[in-house]
Amino acid sequence: MLIKVKLFGGLSSGNKFPTNEEGDIIVGVQETLTVGALIESLALNKKPFIIVLNGIITNDLSIKLKNGDELSLFPPIAGGF
Amino acid sequence: MNILRINMSAETPDVKVEPLGDYEGLGGRALTSAIVSREVDPLCHPLGADNKLVIAPGLLGGTAAAMSGRISVGCKSPLTGGIKEANSGGQAGHVLGRLGYAAIVLEGKSKSDDVYKIYINKDGVKIEKDNSLKMLPNYDLIEKIKKEYGEKIACISIGPAGEMKMSAASVAVTDMELRPSRHAGRGGVGAVMGAKGVKVIILDDAVTTPRQPKNDEAFKDANKRFVAGLQKHPVTGQGLPTYGTNILTNIINEVGAYPTYNFKEGRFAGARKISGEVQAELEKQRGGNPTHGCHRGCVIRCSGIYHDKDGRYLTKQPEYETVWANGGNLGIDDIDKIAMLDFIYDNYGLDTIEMGVTLGVVMEAGLIKWGDADAAINLIHEVGKGTYLGRILGNGAAFTGKAFGVERVPVVKGQALPAYDPRAVQGIGVTYATSPMGADHTAGYSIALNVLKTGGFVDPLKPEGQVDLSRNLQIATAFIDSTGMCLFIAFALLDQPDTFQAFIDIVNAFYGWNMTDNDVVEYGKKVLNFEKDFNLRAGFTKQHDRLPRFFYKEPVTPHNVIFMVKDEELDQVFNW
Repeated sequence: MLIKVKLFGGLSSGNKFPTNEEGDIIVGVQETLTVGALIESLALNKKPFIIVLNGIITNDLSIKLKNGDELSLFPPIAGGF
Repeated sequence: MNILRINMSAETPDVKVEPLGDYEGLGGRALTSAIVSREVDPLCHPLGADNKLVIAPGLLGGTAAAMSGRISVGCKSPLTGGIKEANSGGQAGHVLGRLGYAAIVLEGKSKSDDVYKIYINKDGVKIEKDNSLKMLPNYDLIEKIKKEYGEKIACISIGPAGEMKMSAASVAVTDMELRPSRHAGRGGVGAVMGAKGVKVIILDDAVTTPRQPKNDEAFKDANKRFVAGLQKHPVTGQGLPTYGTNILTNIINEVGAYPTYNFKEGRFAGARKISGEVQAELEKQRGGNPTHGCHRGCVIRCSGIYHDKDGRYLTKQPEYETVWANGGNLGIDDIDKIAMLDFIYDNYGLDTIEMGVTLGVVMEAGLIKWGDADAAINLIHEVGKGTYLGRILGNGAAFTGKAFGVERVPVVKGQALPAYDPRAVQGIGVTYATSPMGADHTAGYSIALNVLKTGGFVDPLKPEGQVDLSRNLQIATAFIDSTGMCLFIAFALLDQPDTFQAFIDIVNAFYGWNMTDNDVVEYGKKVLNFEKDFNLRAGFTKQHDRLPRFFYKEPVTPHNVIFMVKDEELDQVFNW
């Protein structure tokens, strides 16, 4: 199954992955892979702090991924004003 | 510290310097709101002689405390009809404090159409009629003032929008480079300054020295701990300096809370092209600077310098709210065009949020097409020129919505909603609905906990817990706004109790006070009470503490959610 991973705020992966035209990582993974395991396999330069799965903020790294899921990862950030 | 009162009704404006008296212990927003609440007739016309414009540095303005240079501008708002405190960075807060003034109060109203400049130095105040300044845009005005007064000054000014008394007019404050790039933007405070006939206030910073704390050693120690805490926190120490406030575009878009096409959708396909990451990279490539403080003493440095394609200064780094209002909100994904709009707004003296939302309303009406940046720029020039169309737009989203017969007008108490959809982030909806200021994200920035996981996490898509969250943040914010500290210190304060303590220790050491956490809460409540009381007497009811009804009826994509906090719960925000 295919998962789209979007990295923001200076996060980058230490591994080579195929990307789409927007630069998002497209990972082919086996079923039963969890959010936490996928993040680990990315070998990121910084630990992600805000994890967004299909638009929902989550802290649960044990969620099993489904085909077509989108995972957006951010370091600690804030702004506005 | 004294209050400088200038009555513009007299043939020669009348100047009085008074001690703080009953207002002792108040600064920044506490002082502007106390003076407006006690001294201004709540039923007065905001552009009339009975309104007052109060300009106040915070309790720590003019001191050596880091981050403490914010300035508050208060009055009865011509946009909302209620009380207003608009807050700005820039150099004026510290200089005004060092000159010994806790506030400047502009009173009365000039009987002529003349414009005045007010010059203040350590020896006193000089007020002069100067009609050569009439209708000058802010950047041209400051260039002219620099030639006359030199560069060791800070200025507070209005552009043509303020002179034309438009409800979206801002008050500009010069930054470290003496550019009029920082603005008390919201609520039409510039129109009130225009109504007083005051074009510019020039603060002479020559031979001023920082205000001295009661307990110098404790003050220095607390400030050191405070700065270390800000530098240690990943947001204030890394994220904000690296990318600026526009780092929020991607996260707010990803969680489906990025108001797009006038709040019709929650995600914008072009968000990445106008994000903080792209903006910061562009600034570096073009010789600008993504890491720059808006005033001396700032250690977060979330501001920046934006250059055009030819490497020339165009504007300060456009803030997240500006990029959203004039970007995704309008379907515009060209960051250079958005930066151009930012410059034009600063130059005419207009609120970037109110005007961006106003453009969304006229796009909704079909006057110009979604995404047409050049047409948007042309419309803002109409505002600067004061054409009939420009005068409609310059009075904000609610006024423009009426003029064009538009139902979907995202305002509360007449003030445009900022850059977070209240359906996808329910906590900010509570703040928009209930803040005495009208729709104002800074009044109780629930995004910190609803999205950014700073200080904890409250699920943004559910109504539970949002009233308590907004209440607590509104109270804390009212205190921070009174100290003159930048609100961004809150990210570190929420996560690091020792940094919060260092902040309180700074205030205590400076004034010789013994404030505790509870006193901070009581101080914040007192400020909000001034504001609620004024609004009550101005005719506001609990029915004004509501969002426009479409937020309760139309689900927003991608989460297909409506605003679910009940009216009776909203009525509990200020029930203490």
